[in-house]
Formats: sequence, C-alpha cells, structure tokens
Amino acid sequence: MIGRLEPGSIAAKRGMSDLAIRNLFIIPTIIFLIVFNIFPLIYSLGYSFTDFRASMNAPANFIGLQNYRELLADEYIWINFATTAKYVLVSVGGQVVVGFGAALLLNREIPAKGLVTTLLLLPMMMSMAVVGLFWKLLYSPSWGIINYALGLEDFEWLSNPEVALYAVALTDIWMWSPFVMLLCLAGLSAIPKHLYEAAAIDRAGRWYTFTRITLPLVTPLLLIAIIFRTMEAFKTFDLAFIMTSMESTELIAIRLYKMAFQEWQTGKSCALAYIVLIMVLAITNIYVKYLNKAKER
Amino acid sequence: MAAVTSKGQRLWNRMLVATVFVLVIVFLAPLYWISSTAFKPRSLATTVPPTVVFEPEITPFIKLFTRRVQMRGEVDPEVYEEAEWYEKRVLDAGERFIKDADGNIESSGYWSRFLNSIIIAVTSTFLAVAMGTLTAYGFSRFRMPGENDWLFFILSTRMLPPVVVAIPMFLMYRAVGLVDTHVGLIILYTAFNLSFSVWLMKGFIDEIPTEYEEAALVDGYTRMEAFFKIVVPQTATGVAATAVFCFITAWNEYAFALMMTNSKAQTAPPYIPSQLGSGITDWTVIASGTFLFLLPVAVFTFLLRKHLLRGVTFGAIRK
Amino acid sequence: MSKRKWSGLLAGAVFAIASQVSLAADELTILWAQWDPADYLQELVKDYEKQSGVRVTVETVPWPDFQTKAFREFAARGDAYDMVVGDSQWLGAGSTGGHYVDLTSFFKKHNVANTMAPATVEGYAEYPKGSKKYWAIPLEGDANGWAYRKDWFEDPKEMAAFKKKYGYKLDVPDTWAQLRDIAEFFHRPSEKRYGVAIYTDNSYDALIMGYENVLFSYGGDLGNYSTYEVDGYINSKQAIAALEMYKELYQYTPPGWGKTFFHESNQAITENMAAMSMNFFAFFPALDNPATNKYAKVTGYFANPKGPGGERFAALGGQGVSIVKYSKKQKESMKFLEWFIRDDVQEKWAELGGYTCNAKVLKSDKFRNATPYNEAFYQTMFMVKDFWAVPEYAELLDGMNKRLHPYVVGNRGSAKKALDGVASDWTRVFKRYGRLK
Repeated sequence: MIGRLEPGSIAAKRGMSDLAIRNLFIIPTIIFLIVFNIFPLIYSLGYSFTDFRASMNAPANFIGLQNYRELLADEYIWINFATTAKYVLVSVGGQVVVGFGAALLLNREIPAKGLVTTLLLLPMMMSMAVVGLFWKLLYSPSWGIINYALGLEDFEWLSNPEVALYAVALTDIWMWSPFVMLLCLAGLSAIPKHLYEAAAIDRAGRWYTFTRITLPLVTPLLLIAIIFRTMEAFKTFDLAFIMTSMESTELIAIRLYKMAFQEWQTGKSCALAYIVLIMVLAITNIYVKYLNKAKER
Repeated sequence: MAAVTSKGQRLWNRMLVATVFVLVIVFLAPLYWISSTAFKPRSLATTVPPTVVFEPEITPFIKLFTRRVQMRGEVDPEVYEEAEWYEKRVLDAGERFIKDADGNIESSGYWSRFLNSIIIAVTSTFLAVAMGTLTAYGFSRFRMPGENDWLFFILSTRMLPPVVVAIPMFLMYRAVGLVDTHVGLIILYTAFNLSFSVWLMKGFIDEIPTEYEEAALVDGYTRMEAFFKIVVPQTATGVAATAVFCFITAWNEYAFALMMTNSKAQTAPPYIPSQLGSGITDWTVIASGTFLFLLPVAVFTFLLRKHLLRGVTFGAIRK
Repeated sequence: MSKRKWSGLLAGAVFAIASQVSLAADELTILWAQWDPADYLQELVKDYEKQSGVRVTVETVPWPDFQTKAFREFAARGDAYDMVVGDSQWLGAGSTGGHYVDLTSFFKKHNVANTMAPATVEGYAEYPKGSKKYWAIPLEGDANGWAYRKDWFEDPKEMAAFKKKYGYKLDVPDTWAQLRDIAEFFHRPSEKRYGVAIYTDNSYDALIMGYENVLFSYGGDLGNYSTYEVDGYINSKQAIAALEMYKELYQYTPPGWGKTFFHESNQAITENMAAMSMNFFAFFPALDNPATNKYAKVTGYFANPKGPGGERFAALGGQGVSIVKYSKKQKESMKFLEWFIRDDVQEKWAELGGYTCNAKVLKSDKFRNATPYNEAFYQTMFMVKDFWAVPEYAELLDGMNKRLHPYVVGNRGSAKKALDGVASDWTRVFKRYGRLK
C-alpha cells in the first residue's frame, strides 16, 4: 500500500479529526450500500424458506428447506449451471484473447489512435437488449448480413442447439472485448519503456520479451477485467433471452427469471438466487485472492 | 529506437497496422449495419438477400418521434393529398398518425424517455463518482478495521443478479413511493455504480503520492482543505475514466428501468425495443432510436478518451 | 418552410409529453401489450374523451415483458393502471389472487354473456370454467389462422405438378395432411422458397399455441378440465400423432426458424419466403396493405384445416379487459366499460381494426366482408380452445416448452417421450397445488 497518512500527525489537531473524516467519507457509502443490498437480501432470504407467490394475495407459508431440496434435486438446474459455466468460459475466454490481442496491436504509434480506440469501444456503449435484437437480425440465415457476407448460405446460428450458445457468446465477445482491451491497454501503456530497451540490447526474442516483461506487468489489470467480466457473464440474461431460446442456451439467470417472473414462484426463485449468489461469491473470492497475489509479486 | 528499425521490423509494423485496420472494420461492421438500417425504408430492412446499397431517407426518424397505427388496405387519396410531407412519408409506409381531439399528432414518447435518460444517467454518474472518490480516499489514506472485507463487500454488491433483489426492491420502492420517479432510478443506479467507482478510484488515489498533502498540512491546511485543494485536482484523470464507465452503465441499464418505471420516469433502453412494431417488424425505427441513443455516450467517451487509459489502472500498476 | 414544419412537429411532441405527465382525476389508464390492436384502441378511446371528457391512455409494454409488468404491479397492489387487457391464461391468477374486480353483476345487468360471442365469454371472461363468474369483458377476439400465397397456389404449372405428385387438386388445404403435402411441395431451399411458417418460440406460449392448433383438431386434448387429470390425455395417441405432424411441418420451414413468433410469420409472407404462414388474425392487417406487403394482392387467408377425424379447432388468442382491484377509479372504469360494450362503439372498434367479440357485429355481412381475412376469423371464433387458465399456468407452459422444443426444433427423442414427460411434469405441478390427489 502506498503512502498512508499516519493518524495523530500534525494535521489531526486542526479542523476535523482524521477519524471523523474517515467516517464521513466511508460510512455513508457503506450504509447506503447496506440499505440497498442487505435489506432486499434479508427479505429474499426470508422468502426462500416459504412457498410465497408474489402474484397471489395469499400469505406465505414456512416450508423450511423444501425449496432448496427441490432445487438441488432438479436435474434441469444442474444443466443450467453447466450451460452457464460453459458460456462464461467461452465468452470471457474469447474476450481476453480478442481484447488482449487488440491491446497489443494498439499499443504503438498508429494514426488517429484516440479515434480508433473510441470507435472500438462503441459496442460496449449499447444496451444489451438492443444488441441482442440486432444480432438476431445479423444472424438470420435469410435476411442477415453475416451469412451473406461470409457466404454461409443457410447456416443456422441460433436455431441449432450445438451452435446457439457459441453464437450468443460471440455477440458477448464482440460487445465486451473492448472493455478488456481498454484495461489491458492501460496496463501496457504504463510499462516503462526502458524495460523493452534493455531487452532489445540483450537481443531478447519477441516471445521472451512478451512472457517475461509484458505479460507479468499486465496480469493484475487483466485479472480485474476478468473479475468484472466473469461476474457480468454469470448474470447474463437479456442477451441470451432475446436472441435464442434453445434448451442448450438456458443460462441460470434465464431459469431464475422464468421462475421469478413468469411462474411467480417467488419463494423458490429466492432460494435459487441464493444458490447463485453463493457461487458467484465463491468464484470472485478466489479471483480476488489471485489478484492480491499478482499485485504483491 | 528508430535507428535500430530494420526493414523486417518496418514490414512487421505495417502488417500490424493493417491488422488493426481489419479489426476496426470487423468491430464496426455490425454498428454500420444498425446505423444504416436507421436510414432505410422499411421494405429494405429485411430483404432476402440483405440490401447493402440504398437511398437513405429520414422516415424512420419521423416514425420514431410519433405514434402511429398500422393501416389496413390503401390510403384514401383525398387524405393523402391533404397530408404534410412528413405525414405522406408515414402513409407511404402503410401507417397513419394517431391524432388527438384537436388533430395534433401524438408523440411517441421517445423524446421524453431520452430526456429521462439524460437526467438520470448524468445525476447518478455524478453521485456515484463523487461518493466513490470520497470513499476511495477514505480507504486509501486511513486505516479501517476489516478494510479488505469492506472492500470485498463493496465489490460483492455488483455480483447480485438483478432478478434476486428485484421483487423486494420493488416492494420497498412501492412502500416509499419511489416507483416511476426519477429519484428512484437515480438512487438505484448510484448504488449500482458505487462499487465500480470505489474500486477504480481507490486504485487511482493509491498512486497519488502523499507528500503533497503532507506538505499542505505542514503549511497549515486542514485535512479537509488538503483533500479538496490538493488531492481532488489530481484525481481528474481517474474521475474522468470512472465517469465514462458509470455513465455507460447507467445509460444502458434495462432490467430495473423496466421494472421500476411505468411511463413517467422510464428511460430509453426498455422503450426502444418496444418500437419493434407488431404486424411487420420495423427494424428501421428501433435502429434510428438506437442510433440517436448511441450518439451522446459516444461523444462523451470521445471527449474524455485521453483520460481513459491512465484512469483505469485500479492501482494495479507499480510505479 | 420545412424547417417550420419540423419545429411544429417537435413542439407538438413536447406538448404531448407535457400533457402526458399531468395526472388529472378524469383520466384512466389501460395497460396492454405493444401491438396494432392497442394502437387501434388508443384511437377508439378518443371518442370517449370527446363524449365524457375523460382522457383514456393505453399504456403499452412489449409482449415479452407484458406479463411481468402487469403482475409486478398486482403483486405490489399498485394503482398505476385502472384496467388491464390481460391474457386469457391470467384469469386464474387474476381472480383467485384477488387482482381483478368481480364483474359478474355487471355481466348480468348488461347481458354481456349474450351480446358477446359465446367462445369469447368462456375464453376471456369466465373463471373457473362453467362457474358463471366473470372477471373481464371480451375486448379483442383472436385466434390462429393462415395466410397463403394465392399466386403460388393458382399457378397452372404448379397445379399440374402438384396433381401429378399427390393425386388431388392444389387448393386451400382441407386437412392437416394436405397442409403437410402442400408445405412439402413448395419447400425448395435451392430457390429460397420454403413450405410453411409456424410458431417455434418457446419463451412463452407461441410454440404451444402452434401445437394446440394441430392437437385439438386431431381430437387430442390437454387434459380433463374438471378433474385435472392429464396422463392419458396429453400423451394420448391423437396427441402424439399431432406432435409428429407439427414436427414434420417444422422440416418445411425457412432456415433459422427455431425461435419464431408473429413477427417472423408475417415476414415469411412479406419477404416472399413461404407458401403458407400460421399467425394470429390480429397480425393480418399488415399483410393486407400493399405498403407493408408487396404481395398483398396475392395473399389469401384460410382457417385451420381439419384433423383426421374431421374436427376443426384453433388456439385462442386475444384478451378481455379487467378492472384492477387496486385502482382508485373503479366506478369511472365501470362507466368506460359500459360505453365500450355499446353496439355502436363495438362497430367502430371493428372498423378501426380491432377484432370485436360482439356477436351481432361479428355476424354482420359488413364485418365479414370488410377484409379478405374477416370471414376466416368469423369461422374460427366458433372453434377456439385455450390453454389452462389456472394460476400456475406458467409452470405448465414451461414444462411443456422444455419437452416440445427439443423434440420439434432440436430433433431429440420422440413425440411419445416428449409428451409422456409433459404428462408427468403436469401431474407433479397439479399435485403440488392440490388439484390432483
């Protein structure tokens, strides 16, 4: 940690005390976030032990762990989780490859760099729902531009159970690689030039320079990009829901949505939401540990 | 460096620039398709095979701002004769305007949603960045018991799938009368963005050396003055980068905008897809809505582009 | 000149927003889905405003979000909407959940059960079935029908080739088997022409309604509506044959037809892709308009064909309008409904493009000849059947979608296995809610 001010230094004697300032700066945010997240979460936790249906005016009955038992025994839920895992891997993996690759390419003197970077960022500035709609249009085998431009004829992107999930992931990659690219670019541009110069003097190969200088120095930022993208990909709903509805593309967030807002099994959906939340927390926790390690190195 | 550049090196560089060019084309192709659809006549939006070359027109934008209804059969020639040019465009497309009792054309509501989006996104971005900066400074400069746990808690508020909290949140909002209000969405988006904002800003503030503040304190500033007069100006780059991200998120949020608003405070993202038409899919109208909606955020990002790279370090870069 | 017009247009828009925001006491809000009939209704209620001074606003939500939005409001007992034009499946949840105002006495007082077509009263208003308790006024009648390309059907060369291949005359299909033959006959992927467009979207009820058309006509049923027994009904011989037929039809659809609903069905006609297209009658106005359909002049319409046993049925669409229990303007809403069911208003409603449920208007020659598809609509409205309307209908939809979609679109398993799965899922759901022992 860089430069922490020691409490009780000269300044603390004038104006507000350091402790007061710290509390003034931090506590409102924490309280705000607690009200906004913990309260609904407590509500949800309560519901998850009941047969509550928000669509009906009937009181909620306490049914213990039945919702959790039913969910964990439901084969479809596990398929949904497996689908989600596959989706997260493919889509975040793709974003890292494309985003990092693009950052490596852009990390040099090229004409109109600022403009090019902004243009590449455009996809992530759109609403997921709209992106989903338009990619459905682009993917159409009949009037879509993709098959027409690539000469794929009647290739089915979204109606083929084997391909649909990857097609959605491809859209996600298109939309969010720029985010990864931006973070990597920030990491790359901060690498001191003299490291490369030294490597050049040592006649180090490109591969060596890349693995020994570039990669380690970009890793922390790359990990942060991965944390945020994994969290978002795990929650993916609008995109997949709008584009296709194959059994093989039913992500856990879609299952959750259907349970909560189509079937109105409020209690059960709250239980499922908790299972999802615990999983995301666990995964993120592991990431953050890695991140802290990477930072310390 | 230039001296050691060999011929091979130059070729390599040129190839890389060419690759960048190809990459830009690939990334922009779908955007080009959306934007070009915004200027197409409806009949050319979904032709088999797709139409690439066409004569652009502004009919989709006329439709975007007005409320229309699908006509059965052809238009009455007399009505058509009397119509203004923009009404003719719509009649040509097989629709008629919905008019109120005085014969005025009814608005589609796009413009009011657009204004709502601006009000809500700008205000919530400001709040998220401001609170984020303060909190980040607090975490960066002072000791806090359980600091890492608090930071993880702040991050974890972003992990919830919105569906999890949607129902209780809605009931909460209903109880305090925040449903379908601007304030309601502003608070919500501020809460969304805070985690990102705190994390980004903390990384940035960590890198600002404390010597300046300490010098200021020695000069007789209070800690508060030192923060506002010395630290805040140095955070400009981080603030700009954070603002871009918060703005993008707030600008495009869909699920809660749909759940928490009816028509008064609704933003554009849930509204645009609703203009898809019913008898015939009208891609041109949602394309024009999307096109206009992309402009402000693109301009905003372009203006702040210089700060983006240096602002998103998350403190992960060692000096 | 044009600049002035533009600013006029914009000023009008701004004014409209301003007036939209002011919430006066003499204002009613109706929630409906975003589609043409809602726009027609918005035009119709202008007359009410002229007569009574009460401004009525039809607020619309896209179809995929419609159900969510309405029930979210019910769940919170909100009064944002005074009336809602709800799907027929919602009747169970709306009535037993206490969200709808009981309109039974309104029905008696105004004799609604006799002025509206019987199928619409049963489908859009009554719950439980046969109870004579009413929760909605039939507003928009709708059902599945077909659009087809008359020019393809009447081409002498095609007719001769068809006769040679199948041994009977190429015409509007009389049975589902003939419809299948015609679809196969016109299915020519190399020419970018395909046989038929059907519903396959499994995110709500599209695929199921598409299948119901065949199922009911084949003499199959979803179950026993009074005992809630489903095993032996939904997986009966007829039901299996019907599902196999639906899957066969899927083979003759255009490519990429795995998540399609009304938009795609109409596009199949306007983009010159399919010989026949299944769709709700509410979406046909766009096909009859040369400005939206290049082939309007050569597009014809027919009602569902017969099953092997000669029965004919169609899946019910459409909605009734209910008064929301939490509205603070129930009296005013009642008054509006009294106005809405008047014969002259119903006639105007039909004229604007709405599908009236008023029996007198429906039967009139004026209505039946008003469009090329009104006759087919009139016929269909006497042979409609609907999905379950119990509060847990969405779970039933989901269970069925999960079994049917992989079979029809994903080509997995068999019809029997899919329907056996539906039967066991539904039995479990009904048991859970205490309808089955």
